[in-house]
Amino acid sequence: MSAVMLYLLLGTVLAVAGTVRMLLVRDLLARLIAMNVVGIGSLVILLALGARGGADDATDPVLSALVITGLVITVAFTGFGAVLIRRIEGPRPSDRDGGDRG
Amino acid sequence: MTAAELSLGAVVLAPLLAAALAAALPHTARRALGVGIAALVLLLTGLLAVQTVAGEVTELALGGYPAPLGIHLRADGLSVLFLGMTALVGAVVTVFAAASRHTHQAFWTLWLGCWAGLNAVFVSGDLFNTYVGLELVGLTAVALVALGGRGSWAPALRYLFIAVLGSLLLLVGVGLIVSVTGTLDVVQAAEVLAGRPDAAPAALLALTLITVGLCMKLALLPMHAWLVPAHASAPSAVSPLLSGLVIKAALFVLLRCWLWLTDSSGALSALAPLAWGLGAFGAAAVLIGSVMALRQSALKPLAAYSTVAQVGYWFVAFPLLLEEDAAEGAFIGIVALALGHGIAKAGLFLGAGYLKEAYGTDEIEQLRGAGRQHPYAVMGMSLGLVGLIGLPISLGFTGKWNIATAAVAAEHWWILVLLAAGTLLSAGYAVRALAPLLLQESPTPGEARISRNYRSVPGLCVIGLGALTLVTGFGGVLIAEALEVGAPW
Repeated sequence: MSAVMLYLLLGTVLAVAGTVRMLLVRDLLARLIAMNVVGIGSLVILLALGARGGADDATDPVLSALVITGLVITVAFTGFGAVLIRRIEGPRPSDRDGGDRG
Repeated sequence: MTAAELSLGAVVLAPLLAAALAAALPHTARRALGVGIAALVLLLTGLLAVQTVAGEVTELALGGYPAPLGIHLRADGLSVLFLGMTALVGAVVTVFAAASRHTHQAFWTLWLGCWAGLNAVFVSGDLFNTYVGLELVGLTAVALVALGGRGSWAPALRYLFIAVLGSLLLLVGVGLIVSVTGTLDVVQAAEVLAGRPDAAPAALLALTLITVGLCMKLALLPMHAWLVPAHASAPSAVSPLLSGLVIKAALFVLLRCWLWLTDSSGALSALAPLAWGLGAFGAAAVLIGSVMALRQSALKPLAAYSTVAQVGYWFVAFPLLLEEDAAEGAFIGIVALALGHGIAKAGLFLGAGYLKEAYGTDEIEQLRGAGRQHPYAVMGMSLGLVGLIGLPISLGFTGKWNIATAAVAAEHWWILVLLAAGTLLSAGYAVRALAPLLLQESPTPGEARISRNYRSVPGLCVIGLGALTLVTGFGGVLIAEALEVGAPW
């Protein structure tokens, strides 16, 4: 098994495990972290695809650009999600907390 | 640089700059800026539409760098149709928001950013900008939902999770296509795929990932649970944008990937199981979504479940896209249904939001007789429902007619049965929503004289969208002609 294969597999395992956790867990913060695990998994897959390389073993710059963009966007969503969670679970406990059904 | 090329870049950049500017302006100036940008985008989209109707695909490489490296914008028939629908609905909702006293001050930055993202998705020539545009739309849409106050934060968060999961699947799919073809440009990637039959399995995997990711954002049936609370709890001016426009961006990307990427690569026939799966989920969505809509007691959740049902119609036609002699009709049908839904559902949601602002509730029973006081809003909602049922004259009718004709050509009779059942069910929930509003109850003593609200701008916006539902119904032939420009066959 080549190194690229190993990383592809690792990325897939991370993404699938993160997705399962994200869909099953009820705690909002744990869900947000699971979302980031899915993100890391997908980006590892992309990096591995980029490192597949041609004859000269160079990594594909386009895929690296995709990874960087993906990272930035995931950070933006994570920050916004954290603010929302803080508000939902904020100082005034609300009786209308319907966010963790399903 | 011609006027059409200039407007191709400006439809994205003008709302984006305005979004940044709006954050720095005082509240009243934001409203003026929003209306001004809406007029500008309408004008720019009109320029592009003229060029497209003349049969020309408008293309622009930003900064003069061509496709593999630079940002390549392209507006063909499909792009211009979605741009046009977005401009019309966006402009009317912008006027509604500017005239409404309930518009949140953060609405303007978020909505203008969302508009820029939508336009970016529609004119993007490569998959990378499509992805960035979709993310901009997703992030601003989640924030727009959260403007609805405490009750909307939990649905907004749930929407955020689904949006991110969907985009990550899309990103991996796009990455796979890049690693196989070496390019992000849709046309170039299709050419590479056509010349390399050995790449078909990777392309199939990539398309499957992209499709599943986009179906999450589109709320196709098993993944629809997020949509109803998010669209129902969003503010009045936001729900029409979410249901009418935001989910159309994902549909646009899906059509682009299915029809342009797979063109003549032979991967299309391998997509058959996926297409049939989508068709089956679509059929279930039509039936379950309509039945759930019938069971709602409030207007906005009813409209949201109706969106779930309408999404189903688009996917019911997906198996037809693989049939040689039915593909074109099915394609026209899906686009017509999606455009018609955008306008009609925006009208319905805008009317529901208007009544909710006026009465403080959207429970149908408590709105009994609202048609007496707000005739324009209720009339606009009725016209929107005509479009959703698919009665002539509306794009809903054009779409269903085209899909039905294509289904007959391909001898898929079950689609006809499903269209008929869906139409009857939607007529049912239309009556359920409207009848109590139109009933002339004798006014309770003490409020003998009811002032009729004829001059309010928000009410006029609702009936404006209702009228657009009928007016665009005459444009069915134009849609077929426009889709010929830069068509994949």
